[in-house]
Amino acid sequence: MTTQRVLPQSKETLLQNYNKRLKDDIRSIMDNFTEIIKTAKIEDETQVSRPTQAEQDHYEMHVRAANIVRAGESLMKLVSDLKQFLILNDFPSVNDAISLQNQQLRSLQEECDKKLMSLRDEIAIDLYELEEEYYSSSYSQWDSTDLPLCEAYRRRDSWASANSSNSSTHGEREDVDGPPSQETNPQHHLNGHGTASVEKP
Amino acid sequence: MANDRLRALEDVEKEIAMVLQCAGNIVLELSKDKHNASFLDRQLIQFQNSVSRVENELSAQIRYLTQVATGQPHEGSTYSARKDCQMALNRAEYAKVKLGELGRTCEVMLEQQQQQT
Repeated sequence: MTTQRVLPQSKETLLQNYNKRLKDDIRSIMDNFTEIIKTAKIEDETQVSRPTQAEQDHYEMHVRAANIVRAGESLMKLVSDLKQFLILNDFPSVNDAISLQNQQLRSLQEECDKKLMSLRDEIAIDLYELEEEYYSSSYSQWDSTDLPLCEAYRRRDSWASANSSNSSTHGEREDVDGPPSQETNPQHHLNGHGTASVEKP
Repeated sequence: MANDRLRALEDVEKEIAMVLQCAGNIVLELSKDKHNASFLDRQLIQFQNSVSRVENELSAQIRYLTQVATGQPHEGSTYSARKDCQMALNRAEYAKVKLGELGRTCEVMLEQQQQQT
């Protein structure tokens, strides 16, 4: 509770300090500039001789000009502090910036993934045709446990149609599978890469 | 919205520089034997306008911050979206590398075939 009271006070104090600095600097600029203009007025010689008066006016103008420049620098520092305070504490704009950035990043990610998916689909189509061509040619070396993608898809379609007609008989499913004598534990490598090239007799 | 306020503060900085420049021009003109009255008037009006614009704009910004600031730190971040996007770009890069390898393999095979024929 005490901590919570400290934070708003420091924020209020800080902003009041900014206000005070602004007012002081603007007043300093205006006052010093007005005094310079007043000092520039040529007056009749008084008790002090003209060269002395000129020297005094010269020095005073220097000091006042330096005050104007100091006030200007102080205003620049104030603007810098306000910028920093704005970046850290202006929650509405910070929230907007975060949501905009999130939106842009998500749209980029979705576009990237969409293009990868379409690329995947195109390559899958080409791969299907290439495997069909390769495994039906004389160059292929594969065994019955090493199914190419096209063959696996064909068999899966035939299993699906067989299962839908014969749902109660499990033994028939083994007959529908390939050569049963060689497949006690069928390990189909669906990607077409076989572990050993065993030719069927 | 944030950029607008920051841009407004940058304009204020330019106005402050303009204030000092106008003050210097006025004093420079007064130092001459013959003053150009119209030039002095113009510079004085610009000086006064710039000073009032600086004061009004900075007061408005301080008033806005008084309403908006809470004193608490902001805990939002774009880390998760940025990470997801980075992963998507990594996936794309990986796919590109693999396709490049596949392309090179195909080229090597074709060259070998051509050499054999």
